[in-house]
Amino acid sequence: MSFVGIGPGRSGSGTARGRVARLLDLLAPLRGVDPLVVASSLALSGVGLVAIYSSKLATLTAQGLPTTSFLSRQLIAGVIGLVLMVAATVFDYRRLRAFIPFGYLATLLLLVLVLTPLGTSVRGSQRWIALFGFQVQPSELMKIALLLALAMLFNETEGTPGLGRTATAVGLAVVPLGLVFAQPDLGTSMVYLWLTGVVLLVSGVRVRYLLMLAASGAATFFLGLRTELIRDYQLQRLTVFLGADAPDADFAGALFQTRQSMIAIGSGGTYGRGLFEGTQTALAYVPDNHTDFIFTVVGEELGFVGAATVLALYGVLLWRALAIASQAVDRDAMIIAAGVAGILLMQVFVNVGMTLGIMPVTGLPLPFLSYGGTSLIIWLGMTGLLLNVNQRRR
Amino acid sequence: MSFSVNVPPPLERSTVLRLAFMAALSVLLLGALLARLWFLQVLAGDRFAELADSNRLRTVVSQAPRGHILASDGRELVINRPALALSADRQLLVNAAGLPRDAQAERTVRRLSALLDLDEQTLLRRIADVRYSPFRPVPVAIDVAPDIVLTVRQNQELFVGISAETIPVREYPEGDLAAHLVGYLGQISREELGETRYVDYRGGDLIGRGGLEQSYETELRGRGGQEVFVVNRRGSVIDVQSRRDPQPGLDLVTWLDLDIQRAVEQALAEGIVASRSIVRPDGRSLPSTAGSAVVMDTRTGGIIAMASYPSYDPTEFVGGVSSDYWAFVNDPAQGQPLNNRPISGQYPPGSVYKIVSGAAMLEAGLVTPTTRVACPGSYTVADVTFRNWNPNNEGPMDLATALKRSCDTYFYDLAFRQWQVEQRQDTPDEIVQRVSREFGLGALLGIDLPGERAGVVPGREWREEFWLRYRDGYCERAARAEPGSFGQELLLDLCRFGGIWRGGDAVNMSIGQGDLLVTPLQMASAYQAIANEGVLLRPTVGRELRDADGAVVRTIEPEVLSVLDLTPAELRSIQRGLERVVMEPGGTGVGAFSGFPLAQIPVAGKTGTAERKPLVPYAWFTAYAPADDPRYVVAVSVEEGGGGSQTAAPIARRILEHLFDVRPPDAPGFVPGPAIFD
Repeated sequence: MSFVGIGPGRSGSGTARGRVARLLDLLAPLRGVDPLVVASSLALSGVGLVAIYSSKLATLTAQGLPTTSFLSRQLIAGVIGLVLMVAATVFDYRRLRAFIPFGYLATLLLLVLVLTPLGTSVRGSQRWIALFGFQVQPSELMKIALLLALAMLFNETEGTPGLGRTATAVGLAVVPLGLVFAQPDLGTSMVYLWLTGVVLLVSGVRVRYLLMLAASGAATFFLGLRTELIRDYQLQRLTVFLGADAPDADFAGALFQTRQSMIAIGSGGTYGRGLFEGTQTALAYVPDNHTDFIFTVVGEELGFVGAATVLALYGVLLWRALAIASQAVDRDAMIIAAGVAGILLMQVFVNVGMTLGIMPVTGLPLPFLSYGGTSLIIWLGMTGLLLNVNQRRR
Repeated sequence: MSFSVNVPPPLERSTVLRLAFMAALSVLLLGALLARLWFLQVLAGDRFAELADSNRLRTVVSQAPRGHILASDGRELVINRPALALSADRQLLVNAAGLPRDAQAERTVRRLSALLDLDEQTLLRRIADVRYSPFRPVPVAIDVAPDIVLTVRQNQELFVGISAETIPVREYPEGDLAAHLVGYLGQISREELGETRYVDYRGGDLIGRGGLEQSYETELRGRGGQEVFVVNRRGSVIDVQSRRDPQPGLDLVTWLDLDIQRAVEQALAEGIVASRSIVRPDGRSLPSTAGSAVVMDTRTGGIIAMASYPSYDPTEFVGGVSSDYWAFVNDPAQGQPLNNRPISGQYPPGSVYKIVSGAAMLEAGLVTPTTRVACPGSYTVADVTFRNWNPNNEGPMDLATALKRSCDTYFYDLAFRQWQVEQRQDTPDEIVQRVSREFGLGALLGIDLPGERAGVVPGREWREEFWLRYRDGYCERAARAEPGSFGQELLLDLCRFGGIWRGGDAVNMSIGQGDLLVTPLQMASAYQAIANEGVLLRPTVGRELRDADGAVVRTIEPEVLSVLDLTPAELRSIQRGLERVVMEPGGTGVGAFSGFPLAQIPVAGKTGTAERKPLVPYAWFTAYAPADDPRYVVAVSVEEGGGGSQTAAPIARRILEHLFDVRPPDAPGFVPGPAIFD
């Protein structure tokens, strides 16, 4: 690894012209800002805020609580996210390289701490930790940290990465994956796996290595089954989804959730019931409709038109991310952009697919939309990374 | 610029390909989501919108308490009582095939089956009973022991979909008293649910079956309440969308007197059973298979008591009748106890009909009350001899005496002469038939009970229609009969001339025989007309309807069906004849009333012994009392009960004793009367 780029750049001159140049230097990044990326990510965040407000409106009113309680928390996260986005845009990713190992290790430490009594457990899953007075979800942070770490790793590589490099990459992924799996959070560990796969793919790892990895992944999965490493309920959620009978009430619950989700979305019809008019939303028929099932609010209240628009916004982001990747000057920039696209694609497909009943119920949030500060901050941060990479394209 | 600008190396071809792969994957996956979204929202949106509403709205139906049925003095005959019931949520427990919908439902059903000691198949059948609305819990067990209900309530997680509730069920404080009048409740059938008059009914609703429960269904039922709730995912009620309070059914006050009803039922049953030990001349004892008794108010037509033997127990029908009991009440060998014989039994009336034929002869002008007609031991028309029950010649007599002595030949002669008159007319004025109908025979009286039969008043037209319908059968059988035999002669005659109303038919009919059929109620009403100065009233059981506060909503007024075309003197002669039957030595009813305080309570009546070959004759006795100021009509008939004076009159006597409270405490249960087979 090279740490050459650390520290301030060449000292500027004291002349007026130099000051202007330095000012322009600072503004330089804005020249390359991709308006579509900014617009779509902000639009998605805005839809998310409205949907969160709507999802809690009736319940909070009924309980006599301020109707904006959830909204305001998410707004704060949004503001922090915007700051991070600007910072990630302005701060040359090449200067980031030096911090990457520390960031990765720090996040890994947080993931370990989450599993200690310091972590907070919600519904049997240990995912949160208090940091500077905020409940932070380190597994979300790890998405960025792992992506950057992998990008840095392969940036050092000339030509086709060899077996050793590939193994290192797998190693970088497996450690956080195991920690997140232990929380347990099967969904997010799958994201890491997918992300690693995407990175290996775009960084030019031989297809035969990829196939070998896939095979060993499958083997691990079955080993996990044999050793009961994969918990019964995690497996059963999958089998229930595949049409098996629900073995007990817990899984009847998962089926119920999917069914209610489909009813809510389906009842929206073409144009939806109107904003804040959704009966299924108001009566909280879909559990978790402000977090994992936020898409049901969009589907019911805004109909096919609204839901398709949201999907289109994700489409725009994906298109821009892959376009930015293809125009990146450095390999790590390309990997970062492609990695962001990869995570986005997976989370959107798994989450929306779950609400539409074509994917099993896994606890993955919908990027930008789902209630959850860490998730929103991370996604705005990743948008910043995209913009950053876009500054320095060919 | 801070960084030196290098010319970037061109992206490797493979990287471009791999990014293109990513792009393709993105298009594919987003396309899949979009297609699914299109299906759910645009193609199937309407269906999901319906599901969303059924999700959201819960309709809770509350039954209106059914009206009570009360005796005329307000005593309770049928009331409601709350019963503990276990109900099942069908949607949670069974699938469309009627099987447990999942493992949990299967466990619930198994547990409930063990708890109720009811086999699983029966339980599942009850849960899946399609006659119940799917949106309402199905009661699977009624009158459940409180500790069982407690078990379910305390372990609700083991009995998901089972709820305990209190539902009103019919209670009969007087047991099986007046069972035939009361009727019972049964579930509405699928066929009935399709009928427009049951548009308000839902699957699982109870509906009156038989008796007053059926004829006053609309009034007794009331209107169910309905509340539509908006509920959230956990089933908590968020809002009430609409509400309609249940409207209780009206109480029906009847004419019934429960003490008399009990006495009548007892007298009929005991009389019938006791008569079976009477030995007939041929050495066999009387079969007395079944019987009827009616007590009617002469001035209103109100039914004070009505009994049918054998009877059944309506409490067996509460909460659904068992198949065993259903088989029992429908078994012919048990005398079909569900049959309400006073209104649905059709019998030849025999001599009790003589008031009708007597009135007809008066109307026809063949006789006056003082005209005397011979009463020989037999009467011969066209080589056919018709006998009087008494082989001795009793000499000429007037109508009242003919009734007293129940002289058949008196009526034979008059009937034949009237028949001859009618034969000469172009369009015969069938006076006996017309007067029969004036007495309420041959048509429904319209009593407020289901299952009434009209009986048959035969005549020329009826005979011809009957013959046209069965002629081919007679002719065929005649052709197959032994040539030259009596049987063949008879069949050939029927084949050729069976459509003719002959003198013999008229003669037979005059003493209540032949093809004439009446119900016991019709006979009671005929005597009611005689006792009520010739005014025939519609018999009714219901007297008035009251709302839950006791205010009278509707009074069922007496209704005149016809007025007999008799002068007071003519009417009086018939009444006089009936009085002499019971109260004058030589009357056919005197024997059965020996010892009855006739001076205090004068009784008018008539015996009847109706032939129905090859069966043992049917016994009849019809009476009203007090004869000088009639209040009650009593009509008794016993199938295969032998002579009317022998079997029916003693039963009627006992009923009268109860009606007027003159029964001596040491009176024997049943004393057969003299064997007079009039």
